[in-house]
Amino acid sequence: MTIPMVEAIGVHKSYGGVEVLRGVDLTVARGEVTCLIGPSGSGKSTLLRCINHLEKHDAGELRVDGELVGYVARGDKLHELNDRQICGERAQIGMVFQRFNLFQHLTVLDNITIGQIKVKDIEPDVANTKARELLARVGLDNKEKHYPAQLSGGQQQRVAIARALAMGPKLMLFDEPTSALDPELVGEVLDVMKDLARTGMTMVVVTHEMNFAREVANTVYFLDGGVIEESGDPRVVLAAPATPRLKSFLSKVL
Amino acid sequence: MNSNGDDAAKVVPVRHYGQWGASFGAVILLAMLIHTLQSKVPSQTGQRVCQTVNGNRACHPLMVWRFGWDVVSRYFFSSEILRGLVVTIELTLIAMFLGIFIGVVLAVMRLSSNRLLSTTAWTYTWFFRGTPVYVQIFFWFFISTIYQNLSLGVPFTNITFVHFHVNSLITAFVSACIALGLNEGAYMSEIARSGLIAVDEGQTEAASSLGMTRAQTLRLVVLPQAMRVIIPPTGNELISMLKTTSLVGSAGVIELYGAQNNISSSNFEVVQLLIVASLWYLIVTTILSIGQFYLERHFSRGALRTRPPTPIARLQSDIRGVVAKFRTPRIAKADHS
Repeated sequence: MTIPMVEAIGVHKSYGGVEVLRGVDLTVARGEVTCLIGPSGSGKSTLLRCINHLEKHDAGELRVDGELVGYVARGDKLHELNDRQICGERAQIGMVFQRFNLFQHLTVLDNITIGQIKVKDIEPDVANTKARELLARVGLDNKEKHYPAQLSGGQQQRVAIARALAMGPKLMLFDEPTSALDPELVGEVLDVMKDLARTGMTMVVVTHEMNFAREVANTVYFLDGGVIEESGDPRVVLAAPATPRLKSFLSKVL
Repeated sequence: MNSNGDDAAKVVPVRHYGQWGASFGAVILLAMLIHTLQSKVPSQTGQRVCQTVNGNRACHPLMVWRFGWDVVSRYFFSSEILRGLVVTIELTLIAMFLGIFIGVVLAVMRLSSNRLLSTTAWTYTWFFRGTPVYVQIFFWFFISTIYQNLSLGVPFTNITFVHFHVNSLITAFVSACIALGLNEGAYMSEIARSGLIAVDEGQTEAASSLGMTRAQTLRLVVLPQAMRVIIPPTGNELISMLKTTSLVGSAGVIELYGAQNNISSSNFEVVQLLIVASLWYLIVTTILSIGQFYLERHFSRGALRTRPPTPIARLQSDIRGVVAKFRTPRIAKADHS
């Protein structure tokens, strides 16, 4: 059996006494698209942020590609990774944020090359070529000299996807990538994500776009109150929810 | 349709009577200022000038500039003043570089999650902002009375590697740089901190998610964006520092103020030499302000959709605006026929 890309067993996380994750189990197979759905405050984003160690989980086991996130096991002890080692782990995981978080002081092209040049020590020429390829792929090859503030939300999010892909990640995390967009711009971002899914990229997507989940996801997880309430094939789970909570959630969002 | 058959109505602009009155008053005051600046008065020495014109001998009092412009121009480019100006600029730049470096380090320490580091930074700021800079200047000037010798070695042991005599190491100029720089560090730390706080947390998260280390995130992502917030008050500090250097004149450094003071204490043209120094301070301030404008413009890239215009471009648009104001505006009127 191959090792799953992401494996969470009983993951807990609290912020100052409030338990946001209360024992989450989740498995993401290689090359699959997993959608996390649920009401706000259910812990979807926190779980996603734990996967690339933007947040530190308090208890449970969290593995990416078979490796523990943020720790290394030596004997029967877990040693916390230092800044540089954590950075090494993160560089292999792409992340796309709800509010894009493009570097405002850099042009579109520099946004996409900075990680390659500064983190992966790639030659600027090679990085530029790769960045232009990716820009063409997300349909923005004429925008490389623009600054993020000069782009629409949808364009910014596509640049953000290109920026994450430039690092050659083995896993892509999307944190509500279309929630900050005007309705008519949602489609262009989802199209890029669908293309990416077709190339076999492993993706974990926190989303409120149920149609996207139904069409693209291999597995959907419904979180509520910090636990997984229901999971499975989206065509089954979304069409015939087994739990009353998911039923009521779907009736509100659909 | 209006009565004269014109399809555009004439617009009567609001009359700003208050503004006009105030502008008139300002013009009068300005004229009075110019008049007094260029006026001449009889010499206070009672000196008289006599001339023989067509065989008639006429005498009248010697007239001199009220503000002594001849004295001002005589000393304006004197070597003593220019040497003082160079020292002032050196002091300002060295103290500011030291201050900015200390300020950024303190600001990063202040924002650290380590309580010891943040408290240390806070205490530094508390101390150096809480005591007068004049006192600090004299403290460093007299440091050799407290520490005669300085050595580099292992703390709390007798092992030393290098040994200095404080008196020869810390000259008056060095002590002035240390005093002004350390003091400035306290103010700069607050400015740098406000800049760092102003950068959205999402920028740090995005940098982390690309695998940047904390140092890289700070250097490549956070600081360049913080600069936009940091530069305007830093320009203010720089200009303020230029003039604060005049305090070290009393601690043995002959800078611009000290130089004019030396001259006027021998020729008693006190006000004229103060004018010489003030004009130089004004000139340097003007140059610094221009530099600040272009620096701000450079770091505003990406933050605004369109960059602020240069002063020349702004002047052009001002002229266009004034010209347009004197044309009678006309608004096309809807045709109701």
